[in-house]
Amino acid sequence: MEPETKKRKGMESDPDSSWHVIPVLSDEMSEEVTLLDAYAVPITDKRQTSRLVKDLSVVHPLADLQHIKRVRACKDKSSPHALEVIVCLVSDISISAQTRRPTLTDLLTSKDFNLKGLGEPFLVRIPARAPLTRPQFERASLHWPTSFHEDKQVTLGLTGQLFTSSQQAKIQEYMTAAVEAARSGREEGMDAVGAAIVDPKSGRIITVGHDLTRDHPLHHAVMVCIDLVAWAQGGGVYPYGKHPACRYTVSDPLISSEESAQPYICTGYELYVTREPCVMCAMALVHSRISRVFYGASSPDGALGTKFKIHCQKGLNHHFDVYKGVMRQTCEELTLLH
Amino acid sequence: MRSDNTESDVMNGSFLQPSDSELQRWMSSAFIMAKEALESGEVPVGCLLVYNNMVLGKGRNEVNETKNATRHAEMVALDQVLEWCSHRELDPKEVCKCCVLYVTVEPCITCAAALRLLNIPLVVYGCKNERFGGCGSVLDVSSADLPHTGTAFKCIPGHRADEAVDMLKTFYKQENPNVPKPKVRKDGMGPAGGSVTTHTRKHEGDGKMAASD
Ligand SMILES: [Zn+2]
Ligand SMILES: [Zn+2]
Repeated sequence: MEPETKKRKGMESDPDSSWHVIPVLSDEMSEEVTLLDAYAVPITDKRQTSRLVKDLSVVHPLADLQHIKRVRACKDKSSPHALEVIVCLVSDISISAQTRRPTLTDLLTSKDFNLKGLGEPFLVRIPARAPLTRPQFERASLHWPTSFHEDKQVTLGLTGQLFTSSQQAKIQEYMTAAVEAARSGREEGMDAVGAAIVDPKSGRIITVGHDLTRDHPLHHAVMVCIDLVAWAQGGGVYPYGKHPACRYTVSDPLISSEESAQPYICTGYELYVTREPCVMCAMALVHSRISRVFYGASSPDGALGTKFKIHCQKGLNHHFDVYKGVMRQTCEELTLLH
Repeated sequence: MRSDNTESDVMNGSFLQPSDSELQRWMSSAFIMAKEALESGEVPVGCLLVYNNMVLGKGRNEVNETKNATRHAEMVALDQVLEWCSHRELDPKEVCKCCVLYVTVEPCITCAAALRLLNIPLVVYGCKNERFGGCGSVLDVSSADLPHTGTAFKCIPGHRADEAVDMLKTFYKQENPNVPKPKVRKDGMGPAGGSVTTHTRKHEGDGKMAASD
């Protein structure tokens, strides 16, 4: 049951050729930089720097701030000193010392601490958490130098360079199958939502389905596709004979024998769906172990970015990547048909 | 079917406040189902949907036989209610909004959303579902502000919770050592992908997934 997308190359003259794939990142990855108040001190004698850093790390280890570089070059080039060092957080010293302008001995109360080479403290604001994305890193670095372990995939995703133009064409091909299914469903009086599940290893579309909520209130397009995958693997619950646009491909036994066994349900598969899944469907994708999801239009109760981010929800044992904005205009036009 | 007698409970809304004896009676049925499932080596979750003192749906987990990871006990029971409505040409929405779900384990996020979408107003459950719970354990779908996802529902948690947890623990314990070694099919015969136990073995923890769902 080869999908019909190839036959309909004409459909590719999509009005919406300007779409961009946008990664849906976790809240931690999308949030603004939070800052903490800290005291920094000029290093007046450069030769003391390494000793000072060592001694400071004993009295004020800043254990939760491993991403902070303790010493920075002075921003003001006309300054008499070249380096500045973080001594401690404001919250590390007593309230009474915080209220007046603290001196060096308020920050370093131990009599044994060798204050040689340190100037007078001043307030700075430093990033509270390690940056997870390049934009966060760039914003954090405006306040104080910070280390950053870059995830190249995330950076490419954020700059729209994750997918090559041929991958982008594939994404469009699969989403086009979902859009066509949505239109077929609409002709049957269903909500205009369509979906396709793809095995990215073979490039084959395993199932295409659309909303069937007029028949069954829980048969959203994603639930239909999950059940169609079950059919393709010798299981399945509901019959779809009346709905020709809901279909699946049984994997070729000669090919699957090579790979020893089929994946567990949707392991390794990708979902393409015209509209952001609801919480029922999003969690069904977790249960089914989907590997990636691409959607077109956001939805008001959506659970992959709008109301929840089920794909990176803490406490769940399976996470997956989500991208939105695929053929956005076409998909948004479908949602207007409801 | 719609006698005056059966109508009354629904009309006066008293089904939303089940008495202790009602609650114990329905939950004990759910626990019997869970025990039976455990004894036959299946996920020990039992559930029933009660409407007007009638059990319209009874479910057990059917993930393994259907290869559909959403075939949780609640989904199976909900389908029976929908079927019951369609035979009698009743509006499922009108029936569901007067149904109570009794289940031994907190419904997962998927099932909690499904219960919302069908406007089930009340869920009585046994133990928490720490891994997937949708009534507060992982997410609170039951009361979340989701105006396009049916209606929020009320929960009565904790009925015989220790017993429900013990059954789940027993199930996890007996599961792992009993799982047969995966057979790698080189001949291309037989069902592609082999049995679901193969899958369970290959993907550590999927048995548990089914269990606590
Ligand atoms: Zn849905
Ligand atoms: Zn469930």
